[in-house]
Amino acid sequence: MPTIRFLLADGAELAVEAESGRTLMETALENSVPGIIAECNGSAACATCHVVLPEDIMSALGPISEHENDMLDFAEAPREPGSRLSCQIRVSDALDNVSVRIPAA
Amino acid sequence: MSEAVKVVDDVAFEDLLANPYPVFKRVRDLGPVVKVEAANIMMVTRFDDIMAIERDPETFSSVNPQSLLNTVIGPNLMRKDGDDHARERAAIDPSLRPGVVKRCWADPMRVICDDVIAQIEHKGEAELFEDLAAPIAARALADILGFDGVDWRTMALWSQSLIDGSGNYSHNPEIARKAKKAASGVESAVDRMLPHHRDIPNPSMLSSMLQADPPQTVEQIYANIKVAIGGGLNETRDSILTLILGLLQNPDQLARIRAEPLLWGQAFEEAVRWISPIGMYPRRLTRDVEISGMLVRKGEQVGLCVGAANHDDRRFSDPEKFDVFREKKSHLAFGAGSHFCAGTWVSRALVSQIVVPTVFERLRNLRLKDPDRVRIRGWVFRGPTHMPVIWDV
Ligand code: HEM
Ligand code: FES
Repeated sequence: MPTIRFLLADGAELAVEAESGRTLMETALENSVPGIIAECNGSAACATCHVVLPEDIMSALGPISEHENDMLDFAEAPREPGSRLSCQIRVSDALDNVSVRIPAA
Repeated sequence: MSEAVKVVDDVAFEDLLANPYPVFKRVRDLGPVVKVEAANIMMVTRFDDIMAIERDPETFSSVNPQSLLNTVIGPNLMRKDGDDHARERAAIDPSLRPGVVKRCWADPMRVICDDVIAQIEHKGEAELFEDLAAPIAARALADILGFDGVDWRTMALWSQSLIDGSGNYSHNPEIARKAKKAASGVESAVDRMLPHHRDIPNPSMLSSMLQADPPQTVEQIYANIKVAIGGGLNETRDSILTLILGLLQNPDQLARIRAEPLLWGQAFEEAVRWISPIGMYPRRLTRDVEISGMLVRKGEQVGLCVGAANHDDRRFSDPEKFDVFREKKSHLAFGAGSHFCAGTWVSRALVSQIVVPTVFERLRNLRLKDPDRVRIRGWVFRGPTHMPVIWDV
């Protein structure tokens, strides 16, 4: 099981065991990670599940859809090069020990 | 063993229409699920319960073939789940995404807003429901749907008739007739517009549905355009009026926002939390389940009262107060889960970035003509119905 290291907005780190195949957003909700609201429950409609990933793993995650790309510009915290909607990312070994930052709104 | 669902039988339907919030409070404090006889529905009113329900669409389904909504407008995305829903949703999203709203709709919406305000600006007095909010909401929606040349009163009549028809639980024949007439009016308009949108692909909802993969059938187009008309006009209109009302009643908050225009977005979210344009929507249980310890049976319908959840004092302090500067927390006015309002970003842009800031900019020293004559009504759909104002000319 990959370990995901959520970096919270206040600087604290929360490391959790994640199940492969679940989304990062679901993993965050199941572990009560603060700052992931996920109002649309994973439909890429609300942009309240914004996370920032290290840029060097972005390419391992596959392309961003046009819809997600549009939505990311309107997340509450400003978009960064590593920004993604956590509901659109499936947990895999590529994310093992990766830091997933919750940007401060 | 779980407790029996409590029943409230001493509330009249008129009490709900006049002001549902005291009823919501009582019900919220009574239990997680309470049957309210006047509305003939089991209400879920607590914020956390609704959020949890929305996270479990397999148990709490939107599918309900017998619903009046399906009878009135045909099988539509609001009453589907899973992939069937996702495909139809993906067919309309390209017209409604925030970036598309900004690039394609903001300018036409600004033109509509300026035009409507120009017609009243010199008068010094208006009834904001009829003279401002309804025409702006209707004309903006017509543009987004791709309904060129349909006048705003027709849009407004269709919207109201479809809404009334979907709530016609007493089977009033006149309401049913009007809803049928509106449905066929919308269908003829779609038939008239489709060739144009087929020839010239564009960002409108009609065009997006034709460009979708697979393209939507005419039945799907009819039904989902009706959903957008019933669900996109009155709510936007009501939120324009609610935001203006909240600010007119709280001039100190208005002053702070005008000094710091970035706060308009936050003001809008507070307005739809304070008086949520959609107060309740239903879900149907696909199995026996406990909601916070209360057993509800398979096949039963529960009404998710987001209007009540947005006043849940476990989450919001002094919930009945309009306070743009309250501690920031998400609300449920646009729903939650996969049916999260498709028009969220349209209404945010139209109401909070265009209409309400322009109203306060151009109608100088705007004030309520007679604060006692403001009327707010409804519970499933709620908003100001009468708002006379005056300003300096
Ligand atoms: C302030 C304005 C608005 C509010 C408060 C609002 C509220 C809502 C709510 C609560 C739902 C969820 C219903 C459910 O889960 O059963 C919804 C769904 C929907 N809304 Fe809105 N709405 C607004 C404006 C609009 C606009 C402007 C449009 C169209 C341009 C629109 C189109 C839709 C559609 C198509 C759905 C169905 C989505 C789905 O089933 O996937 N809404 N709205
Ligand atoms: S949960 Fe809404 S966009 Fe991801």
